[in-house]
Amino acid sequence: MVLMIDTTTSHIGEQVVEELLQRGANPTEFELIDTTGMRISHCVGCNYCWLKTPGICAVKDDYEPILKKMNRADQVWLISDTHFGFVSYQTKNIVDRVMPLVTMYLKVKDGQMRHVMRYDRQLDIGVIYTGDGDQAYLEWWCKRTALNLGSRSLGVFEEARRKEAVLCML
Amino acid sequence: MHAVIINGSPRVQKYSNTEKIIASFTKGLTEKGVSFETYAISDRQSWEMIREAYRKNEEILIALPLYVECVPGLLLEFLETLPEKDDHTRLSFLLQSGFAEGCQLRCGEAFLEKLPKYLGVRYGGCLVKGDNFGIRMVDKEKQEQITKPYQAMGELFAEGDGFLREEAKRFTGPEYFSLPIRLIMQIVFRTLGKKMFQKAAASWGCHTPLDEKVWETNSECGKGEGGSV
Ligand SMILES: Cc1cc2nc3c(=O)[nH]c(=O)nc-3n(C[C@H](O)[C@H](O)[C@H](O)COP(=O)(O)O)c2cc1C
Repeated sequence: MVLMIDTTTSHIGEQVVEELLQRGANPTEFELIDTTGMRISHCVGCNYCWLKTPGICAVKDDYEPILKKMNRADQVWLISDTHFGFVSYQTKNIVDRVMPLVTMYLKVKDGQMRHVMRYDRQLDIGVIYTGDGDQAYLEWWCKRTALNLGSRSLGVFEEARRKEAVLCML
Repeated sequence: MHAVIINGSPRVQKYSNTEKIIASFTKGLTEKGVSFETYAISDRQSWEMIREAYRKNEEILIALPLYVECVPGLLLEFLETLPEKDDHTRLSFLLQSGFAEGCQLRCGEAFLEKLPKYLGVRYGGCLVKGDNFGIRMVDKEKQEQITKPYQAMGELFAEGDGFLREEAKRFTGPEYFSLPIRLIMQIVFRTLGKKMFQKAAASWGCHTPLDEKVWETNSECGKGEGGSV
C-alpha cells in the first residue's frame, strides 16, 4: 500500500495520482490524503504516547486516522511545499507526530542509539516537493528520518521529477 | 552585549528541558555581565512580542530540541513569520537532543547553519549536545547538575564570538560511542533501561507495557481505537 500525504497549497498530489493511473497502477493499492482543511496540530512534546498512554497521542484532532494509515502502509510519500530549502511546517508536524509508532525503549543499531519500534512494520518514506528545496539536504534528512523508523528512504523528488517518484511506487 | 534568547521547544515551559538548559546558560551570561531577555514559542500568545524582540535586537539565540532530525514543526512555523533583517543581526543556536552522540544532531545542525542566510542575517554558530531527554524526569537538584556545563558555555558566549570557537565545538562530546561502550549500552537498555522507563511511566499513572501494540491488541476500547487520555 502506497500512502501519499499532500500538504501543498497547489495540491500536486492529484498530478501524482494521475501519473500513477496512467501507468496502470491499481487504485486499491494507493491512497492520497490531502490535508487541506484538516486540523493537524504540531507535536506538543508531552511524551504521553510513550509514558502515559503508550501508542496513543494525547492531542485529539484529525491526525490519528492518518497515523493509522501510515502504520498500515508500505510506503509513505510526503508531498510538501518547501521553505528555507526544507519541507513546510505542515509536513514536519505530520512527521513529528509519528512518535506513537515508536516506543520509549532504546537499542543500539548500526552503531547509533535508536528507539525500538512499536509495530513489526517497515514504513519507507519518500518526499515530493514544490519550490526551492535543498535537494541534497532533503535527501539527507529523509535518510536520517527513515533510519529512526527502522526503514529506508525512497528518495526525494522535486515536482517536475514526479514521474521518477511514481516509478518507485509501482 | 544584550541577547534575546528564544526557547524553540513546543513543550510547555514548565516541563521543557531547553528551559532548564537556558537557565544554566544565562547564569554564565550574568556572571560575565551580559544582559538578556528570554521568550518561549510554546505560548503562541507571545509570538508577536518575540518577533518584536527579534526585530529590535542584534544578538539572537534560539535554543531548541531536535525533533525528528531537524527543528520542531512549531518552530518552523514560527520561523516562517519572522521579518527579514540584515547582517547586523547575528543568529546563533543551541541545539540539544535526546540521543547522546554528536552524530545524531548533525542533520539538524546543518539546517540551522543555512537558516540565517534565508533570513538575511549572520550565522553565529551552533552549540550541539545530546543526552538531555532525562532532564524533565529528575528532581531539581539533579536537573541543575545535568545542565551545569551549559553555564560555562554562557560565559563563552558572553565573550562575543557566538559559538564559533573551538571550545563550543568540543562541548558536543563523542561523535560516536566506541564498540565496548555500545555493547554495554545495549545490555543496559534491555534490562535496567526498560525497568527505569516502566517505573517512570508508573509514576505518570501508566501500568500498561510501554511497547504495547495498542492498535493490534486493544479490544476493550472498541475496534482497536485505543483509549483517550
Ligand atoms: C517529536 C519528537 C521528536 C524528537 N526527535 C529526536 C531526534 O530525532 N533525535 C534526538 O536525539 N532526540 C529527539 N527528541 C528528543 C528531544 O530532543 C529531547 O527530549 C529534548 O531534550 C526535549 O527538549 P524540550 O523539553 O525543551 O522540548 C525528540 C522529541 C520529540 C518529542
